Amino acid sequence: MTGPNSARPASRLVTDRRIVVCVGTGGVGKTTIAAAIALEAARRGRRSLVLTIDPARRLADALGVESLGNEPREVAGDRREALGIPEDGQLSAMMLDMKRTFDDLVHRFADGPEAVERILENRIYQHVSDALAGSAEYAAMEKVYEMCQSGAYDLIVVDTPPSQHALDFLEAPERLLEFLDSRLVQVLLHPAFAAGRFGFRLFQRTTQRVLQIFERVSGVSFLEDISEFLLAFEGMSEGFRERATRVRTLLMGADSAFVLVAAPSREAARGARAFLDDLERSKVPLVGIVANRMRLWPGSEDGSAPQFSPDMLSAGRAAIEDALIGSANAPVAPAHAATLAQAAADVATGYASLVNLDLENTQLLEQYAIRRGAFYQRIGELHKDVHDLAGLRTVGAQLFGEERGS
Amino acid sequence: MAADQPDALLGRRLVIVTGKGGTGKTTVAASLALSASRAGRRVLVAEMARGEHLVPVLAPGEAPVGYDGRELHPGLWAMRIDPFAALAEYLGLQLGGRVVVDRVFRNQAFRQLMTASPGWRELITLGKIWHLEQMAGADGSPLYDLIVVDAPATGHGVTFLDVPRVVVSAVQAGPLRRHAGGVEDLIRDTSRTLLLPVALAEELPARETQELVVRMRDDIGIAVDRVVVNAIMPAPFPEGCDDLPDRLRELADDALPASFPSPRVLAECSSYLAARHELHSHYSDVIAESTGLPRTALPYLPEGIRGPDDLARLGEALLAEPV
Repeated sequence: MTGPNSARPASRLVTDRRIVVCVGTGGVGKTTIAAAIALEAARRGRRSLVLTIDPARRLADALGVESLGNEPREVAGDRREALGIPEDGQLSAMMLDMKRTFDDLVHRFADGPEAVERILENRIYQHVSDALAGSAEYAAMEKVYEMCQSGAYDLIVVDTPPSQHALDFLEAPERLLEFLDSRLVQVLLHPAFAAGRFGFRLFQRTTQRVLQIFERVSGVSFLEDISEFLLAFEGMSEGFRERATRVRTLLMGADSAFVLVAAPSREAARGARAFLDDLERSKVPLVGIVANRMRLWPGSEDGSAPQFSPDMLSAGRAAIEDALIGSANAPVAPAHAATLAQAAADVATGYASLVNLDLENTQLLEQYAIRRGAFYQRIGELHKDVHDLAGLRTVGAQLFGEERGS
Repeated sequence: MAADQPDALLGRRLVIVTGKGGTGKTTVAASLALSASRAGRRVLVAEMARGEHLVPVLAPGEAPVGYDGRELHPGLWAMRIDPFAALAEYLGLQLGGRVVVDRVFRNQAFRQLMTASPGWRELITLGKIWHLEQMAGADGSPLYDLIVVDAPATGHGVTFLDVPRVVVSAVQAGPLRRHAGGVEDLIRDTSRTLLLPVALAEELPARETQELVVRMRDDIGIAVDRVVVNAIMPAPFPEGCDDLPDRLRELADDALPASFPSPRVLAECSSYLAARHELHSHYSDVIAESTGLPRTALPYLPEGIRGPDDLARLGEALLAEPV
């Protein structure tokens, strides 16, 4: 039974948008949520793609992305049926290969095969594509753009790299480009550069002195590598910049939506609140917040737990004990019944305090969502980690409001 | 020095706390440092992240410690190693003064260039740590008995500990190479330096910890004698009560007072708590088996770390012999 439940605003995510970006700190379950969103879109007949960064192996296996070279793979065959994907729907997944993405860009924008070779072999470049801050985000954005342009997908869901700052996904590419910008080259490099001469005289005197020391003590041919890198990239930077601008326009446009994934631990909730401050300032289109891995009280409308007074607890405990002893099917010996009853009472209060703690830690997030008209959805923490497609369905059912087991 | 020796942790010169983001490295580093200081050692705890995370747990409400650092508790100093500050200090020493260096470092373009350049941050940070380890007080004894490093979260590929080895192999002679060699020697000295990996008892962290330990031990040659498994949920009910969820499910829906949770709800809560405990036990075992190392289990603290008292609680468990 896949009853439509468009009463849940989260549903509009999968029906109305072309790009959904999941942001949040590490360890909150972004990959799972991103995959669940993509799955739901597929179930509604859209062709969706989830772009992952760092999936757990079993989930990666389940999605079939394990040994890919930066290409999407479609979930096919009888798995489609099991997931309730109709004929016109499609779920694909891919894992981002940062280095390959950068290399592809170089091939696209460099001035000819010689330039390509020079850049790909440049030591600074080799580090740029994995060590440089912002490169993972840049590569992810680039891949999103490429996949969008291909026209093969109705919805692309992006699992962003874990970061401490919400805007890394948008700003890191900017910062990277600033470095590559030819204006930077002119500031750093001496006018004599125009004559095509290499060497220390390239740099303005004070910069030069410091870099010389650096090079002398480091023994690294730092200046030569940097010069070559800047020279080589000068030809590419226009292309890079133009493309990055288009990507950014796409991500900030009406077809895109950002979703903040948060978890209720003190640290994660604090991280999420910091994210909200950043997102607010930047006018990023945040459409919803998913409070993942919440301890929820079973059957409770608002998720909260009951208050346990001492009287209530002792009455409850006594009732459990009696019920266990007097049970028609499987009566329990009195001593054991007493132990079990106490254990049950402890479970009740223990779990209740966890539930209340999670609600307390996420209260500000919920209030923010209400104020901003964004959706707010709690997802209960499952007994086991989500490592297969069935787990994704369970998460999706909570996110999009269907009956469990449908 | 085997893990069961009493001084296995406190007797080191340098303990590097490592692990993926979100596993609790800062908590473990702060807790170890605080406990060591209370045991009479002179301790420095250093972090390297953007922003300060040690002060909020060691001395909530106090000002950041910065590069200069500060004594937060008797015998416990904390600092944040900012790579630019460390580089400026180093270059200033080489140039015999700070005027030129400071001017260049204020230049926006220069900072952008350095921000984009790889490898030097890790090297200069390790160089600073090495330098701190070498520092002696007026009487010639080491300034710090123990240095605890809250290392950057491990990501894919190169970690900051890989850098000295790379430098030594790739770079010609020079002061930095000599320094890199000295740093590498310190890291590989199993009596002086210990790597302390921190993991969560979940699928992905368990496997990554195993990969990390193997790489650190085999490629880098750093001593690792245990894994800290963090945020373990306790057994929710006493032994002999494992039948609780089933027993509860056998009861009638109306068996309990209306204001009290129904047997089915209680059963679900019990199942959940039991399942999480079981999951944590399982992955804790996986970590121990796959790394071949004993583990130190730290309990899940629902309220998080509010201050030094919470750290001290964890410190007791940290200093105990791993199993």
